This record gives sequence, structure tokens and C-alpha cells, in this order.
Amino acid sequence: MPTEGQQKLLEELKNSLTRALPEGRITSGDYARTGCHLEVRLSDAGMRRIAMVMKDNRFYLETITAVDFPGSFELIYFYSTCHDDICRVIARIQILKDATPHTVSAVYPGAIWLEREIYDFFGIRFLDHPDLRRLLNPDDADYFPLLKTFGKTKLTEEIDDILC
Amino acid sequence: MLNIKTIDDTSINERVYQLNLGPQHPSTHGVLHLLLKLDGEVVVAAEPIVGYSHRGHEKMAENRIWEQFLPNTSRIDYLSGLIYNQGYCMALEKLCGIEVPERAEYIRVITSELNRISSHLLGIMAFVMDIGAFTPFLYGFDDREHVLDLLERVTGSRLTYCYNRFGGVRNDIDQEFCDGTRRFIARLRGRFKDYHNLITENIIFIKRTRGVGIITEETALEFGVTGPSLRGSGVNYDVRKNEPYSIYPEFDFEIPVRKEGDVMARYQVRMAEMEQSMNIIEQALDNLPQGPVRSHVPRFIDPPAGDIYFAFESARGAVGYYIVSDGTRIPYRIKVRTPSFSNLFVLTRVLPGNFIADAIATLGSIDVVVPEIDR
Amino acid sequence: MNITQLPFIKEIYGFLGQDLVAAVIGILIILVFVPLNSAFLVWVERKVAGHIQLRPGPMEVGPHGILQTLIDAVKLMSKEMITPKLADKFLFWLAPIIIIIPAIVCFVVIPFSPLMQVREMNVGILLIFSFSSLTVLSILMAGWASNNKYALIGAVRAVAQNVAYEIPLLLSTMSIIIMTNSFKMSEITAAQSPVWFIVYQPVAAIIFFISTTAETNRAPFDLVEAESELVSGFHTEYTGMRFALFFLAEYTNMFIAASMGAVLFFGGWHGPFFPGLIWFVAKVYILIFVIIWVRWTFPRLRFDQLMNFAWKVMIPVALLNLMITAIVLKVL
Repeated sequence: MPTEGQQKLLEELKNSLTRALPEGRITSGDYARTGCHLEVRLSDAGMRRIAMVMKDNRFYLETITAVDFPGSFELIYFYSTCHDDICRVIARIQILKDATPHTVSAVYPGAIWLEREIYDFFGIRFLDHPDLRRLLNPDDADYFPLLKTFGKTKLTEEIDDILC
Repeated sequence: MLNIKTIDDTSINERVYQLNLGPQHPSTHGVLHLLLKLDGEVVVAAEPIVGYSHRGHEKMAENRIWEQFLPNTSRIDYLSGLIYNQGYCMALEKLCGIEVPERAEYIRVITSELNRISSHLLGIMAFVMDIGAFTPFLYGFDDREHVLDLLERVTGSRLTYCYNRFGGVRNDIDQEFCDGTRRFIARLRGRFKDYHNLITENIIFIKRTRGVGIITEETALEFGVTGPSLRGSGVNYDVRKNEPYSIYPEFDFEIPVRKEGDVMARYQVRMAEMEQSMNIIEQALDNLPQGPVRSHVPRFIDPPAGDIYFAFESARGAVGYYIVSDGTRIPYRIKVRTPSFSNLFVLTRVLPGNFIADAIATLGSIDVVVPEIDR
Repeated sequence: MNITQLPFIKEIYGFLGQDLVAAVIGILIILVFVPLNSAFLVWVERKVAGHIQLRPGPMEVGPHGILQTLIDAVKLMSKEMITPKLADKFLFWLAPIIIIIPAIVCFVVIPFSPLMQVREMNVGILLIFSFSSLTVLSILMAGWASNNKYALIGAVRAVAQNVAYEIPLLLSTMSIIIMTNSFKMSEITAAQSPVWFIVYQPVAAIIFFISTTAETNRAPFDLVEAESELVSGFHTEYTGMRFALFFLAEYTNMFIAASMGAVLFFGGWHGPFFPGLIWFVAKVYILIFVIIWVRWTFPRLRFDQLMNFAWKVMIPVALLNLMITAIVLKVL
């Protein structure tokens, strides 16, 4: 059950986000099931505006990740507070396979490495990123490992045998 | 605007030379490569280069069934293996709606806190060894042996555990484990006096760590620093208190916070955290209920389609599992948010302007485990 | 008061020339003693370090590991002596030689007992100081010639550190010298007959010991070879027997520093019941034990703190001590 402080914070946040992003969809999340209090869905790159709103409200960027769906990527930004009234906000945007979203590293410098990791694993290039190189894989790698089209191991076939 | 000096950004200056700290080096904790640009003894720019122990855990997750990813979790951060195990199991239990018996929760908390103590012992003592005092490292390892022996009796492993299961833990603990833990806590409390005498009150140590490697609260929040590194900078944030999970709300413990943000503050936070962990373990042992240690769960679990983000506190900071399930027995995506990833990157902002010796002290005090960054 | 007074030697040198025989016998004894001493000290250090760290240290080779250093020396001799490709070959080869020769030369004036001193010189103490200053030259050569950044940083630190700590070392020794009006080691020892000088000059003793720990690059002043920062400092690139020579030199320097401390402050070979030699060796080894003990207890000083300590604390205190000693001697 959200506490009073949390509810107030969520309300304020909802208002500032709606003002900053008229085109996005902001819904309350089911914390008990998904672990987030507020969910923001966008269909284009308004990430920087969200990031600025979040920074003004003293949230920190916990992590950024991407998921490879057939036909699109989903970029997910996780924000969280450090107060007693914890409040988690997840911002998702759906982008096409060769889209170039804007970087948020101007607002949160910690995103430099997070976005490099996403580039390294998925091949998603970020606009205006100061230093877009591979992070974890070798510098001369020509593959993006976490794409679904990149090699399935033999183990999966064995698993299919076990489970069927 | 962005103020980081990336390594190629330094203006051409004849006095500046480049020094590679690592990847093979006696003091980098794991296979870390720190590229330093130095002017004499002063660091002008620093860039960590990671990826030497990248094993592809997140890709492995997409090629295994849910149960088979359990051993991977403890190898991501090998010093907090039990805590990562617990987090993964709790995330899936939340997703599937599985209930965990109370005794299992207590056992999970006891073993996780013992793991936290052993991780802090290693982290602190390795940092002190980097500063130059070789002896406390071995005293800390002596204490750590006791913890590892206790955990080995129960879980079967010393470092990379796979003890938690969906719905509880694998097997029960016995009376000898409880007695041994109590004896260990009494012994460690006595040893703390020695540690404070030898390290904390040593004038050379104080001079090496006071006012060195300061991380301000602003910088910490901008970079997503969590854990003792954040609590040493004055922010009272611990997932166990701010966003309680498991049965942590039932225990009475404090979160140590220091304001200075220097190396000494982080060291003191870690020492105080060990004492708080001991309090938690004692309370848990006193109130340990009887009952089963694992609820009845099908052999292969079938989580519903959906996603969940579950956060918990390891020895290094806030960890998060972001799990996407498509309704099958194989995960669609598992993303592990590790604290060392953000904690290490903050060094690009903190190190410039310090001496090399201070750079080593700061790197040690952040307590990085590189496999956690590389996954 | 030298070795030539022993009876059976007198006949031999009767027709050879006493100085030559004394010198040759003395040097031979020293050349045998130095490696044995270093081997023994390496074993002592490892055992003491082990016991301080709650472990037994070397136990395998020989009873309680006493042959460990011998086997290590054999191992080092069998290793290839690698020279880095772009190193300055002549200096690289020369550095280990230059570090060990002055250390051996300093043994010439150390009074092991009333009869056992290879050569008595009017400027005994000055000889030891000047030759031990040559180590810093060798360290700089090693660091530069290795063509390795870590080695160079270590060498540069060593130069600054050694030069800075020479001064309090000399000033504290001066306080003793003006008390005895002599540079001769044997006279200083003889002057401590009833009371050792540590009673008269405790401050000088403390300054002396801190300075010698810094001069021999031992912890807490071992930034020069700080393992966790610089891999191995100036001897990073040295392998095999060359590395063994650096090691040998370090322990020999420790012995010389401790014997200077024993002579200047602890009465040299004075002591009841036992012959002078045993007292001298005992005092030296006790001082070495204290140096080893300090190494495994304290963390390392940062370099600027080290230099600040030398220039801003040690030198003023040493000067003050010298002034007070001079005034007191004039008045009394």
C-alpha cells in the first residue's frame, strides 16, 4: 500500500511528467507485481525531457536496458528515489530496429556507460553520445550478442527435448 | 553540461604521460584496466576499461530454463553469491506468486547476512592492503574462514553458492550451524577491537584516507552510485530499509551513514555495516521459527507472461533483476543491474586531481568486483 | 685496536705487510658474511611476517624452513636474466653492481668487537654515509635504464626520498659526534662505557631510526617499491640473479643501518659477561627485528606526506636537538 508521502510524490510526478510529455501515456504501475510505481510509455524519443524532469525531482537513473522484440526494440529506463518514500518510475519507448534515440548522458553522466553497453549488445546507436564505443565485447567484434538473431546454443535444443 | 574528461580529451601537453594500471596488477580487484594520464604524480584523466571477464550471463539466460540460471547468479558477484541467489529467487517468486515458508525466509536472511559480512571483510582488508598494511588482510581472512566453514556445512560451497531455490532453500540448517554462528559473532565482536586499534586509529591510515577521494552527493546521484559508497557521502539509502523485501521489516537495525564522502567515511560505513549485520543475524537466530524450508513448487516453473523489476541490497549496493517472461520455461530477457558498474564509472569524475597513491586508495575503497561489471 | 693484534696473525704479516694481510682477511670474511647474513635475514623476515600474520611462514625446506633462502637463491640463479629490448644496456647491467659494492665497503669500518674491525679510519662515519648515498644513484640508474614507467616513477620517488632523509640522518648523527669529538666508530663505542648514548640523546635516536628506515626504503617509507601501486618499483624489470643482487643489497643496507644505530646509540659491543662480538650482533639483530616488525604493522605513507614529514618535521627537530646539545656541552 503506498504511504501518504509516496502518494503525494507520485501525484506531483505525474503532473510534471504530463506537462513535459503531452504525447506520452502515464499509468500507475502495479508495484506488488511488477515492482514499479509509475509507468511512462512513449512512442518517440522524449527521453531527455523525462530525464530532466526526473533530475529536478531528485531521482537517480538506476539502469537502462533494451529488449529485442520481433520488429522493434523496447528501451527501458529505470528511475528511483533515495528517500524513505521509495518511488520507482519505469519509462519505456518502442523504437524501430535502426532508429537512433537521443542520449540522456547530458542529464545523467552515468548513462554514458549504460548506453555504451546497449550499443555493444544490441547495436542501437544513440545520438549525441560523447563516446559511443563497445564496452564489454572486444573492440573489433562485428556482432551484437543480445539480438535474438545471434546464435542459439545447442543447449536450447536439448532443453526442448527435456521439456517436450 | 557534460564535464567529464574522456581519455582523449586532454589537451596535448608534453608533461602528461599515460600509465596503464592493470589488467595485470597486484592491486586492481579483479581484471580491471585503468588507463591513467598523469602529470608527474597527479592524475589528469582516468578511464576504466572493462570487459576482460565478460562471460555473457545475460545471453546465457536466454538459452536456459529458469532453474538453470540459478548457478549463474552467484557467479556474477562471487563475493555476494547468496544474496544474488536470494534476489533471483525472490524476483521469480513475486512474478509467479509463490509463497515462501517463514523458516526459509529466516534462513535466507541469516545466510545472506553472513555472506555480507564475509564480503565486507574481504573488501575492507584488500583495501587496507592496497594502502600498505599487509597484516590486517590475513586477520580478516582468518575470520572469513570461519564464515566460509559455517556456510560450507550448510550449502556445500565456499564461494559460488547455489543454495536458494524457488520457494525456499535447498536444505535445512541444524543446531550446530546456529551455535557455530553465535560463536563466530562473539569472536568477531572481540576482533573488532583489534581492527580498530590496528587500522582505524593508526595515524598513517588516517592521513592516507581523510579527505581523499571525495564523492559528493550530487556526483553520486548523477552517476547512480549506491551502497556504502553512497552512504559514505551522506545519503541514507539502503534497499533493505527503503524498499524492504523478505522479512527485513521485522528486524531492528540501523543504516550507518557518514557525511564526509571520503575514503575514511566509506571504510567506517562498511565496518559499521558488519556490526549491524551481526545484530540482524542474532535477532534472526533468536526468533527462528520451525517449519518446512521449501514450499511445494513444480519441478519446472511456468511464470506468466510479463515483466518485473526486483531490487535488493548486496554488499556493494543496490542490485536489480529486470526479468521479462514470455510465458514459456525459457526467460525472454534477464537484465542484472549491478552496483559496481555505476560505482566504478564515477572514478572518471573523482580521480582527476589526486595523486596515484590516492587513486589506488579510492579504487580500493569503492570495493569493486569486476566480474559484476562485466557479467 | 685492530685484527692485526691477534697473535698468530703477527707472524704471517711479519714479512708481507700488516695492512695488506689485514685487509685481505677482513674482506674475505666480509664477502662470506654478507650473503649469509642476507640469507638469514630473508628467512627471519619471512618467519616474523608469518607469525605476525598468524601463519607459520616457510616450513617445508629444512627444519622450520631454514634452507628456504638457499633454495630461492638456487632458483634465482637458474632463471634467465632478461634485458628489455629498449633498455639502456650498460646502465641496466651496471645498476645491481653499483648497489651492492658500497654496501660491502661500509663493513670495513664497523667495529664488531674491540679487536674485530677491518680497518680503523679517522672518518669512519663519513665513509659509511658517503658510500650508502651511492645506493640512490644505482636506483636511479635501474629505474631509468629499465625503460618502464613504473620503474621510472619508483626511481624518481627514491631520489627525492633519499635526498630528503639524508639530512635528518646526518644532523642526528652530528649530535653524537659533537659529544665525542670524533668520527671514529671505535672511539664512539668506547665513549659509551658507563652509559649508552640513547640515554643522553633519545630524540636523536628516534630521528635516526626513522631516517634510516626511509633511507633503506623500508615500510612505512617503501613507496619506492610500493607493491600495490608500482608493481615492483625500480626493480620491476630485473630478473634472476640481478634481482637477487637488489634483494641482497636491501638486507645488507638494513644490517649496516642497524649496526650504525647500535654503535651510535646502544653502546656497540659493550655489555657484561659475554664477549663484545655477541653483544654487538645481538643488538644489531634486535634492531633489525624492530625494523621488520614496523614493516608488517603500519600502512604506507603517501609520497607528499613523506616529504612533508622530512622537510617540515624531522629537519627542524633535528636542528633543534643539535643546537641544544651544543649549548649544553658548552655550558657543562
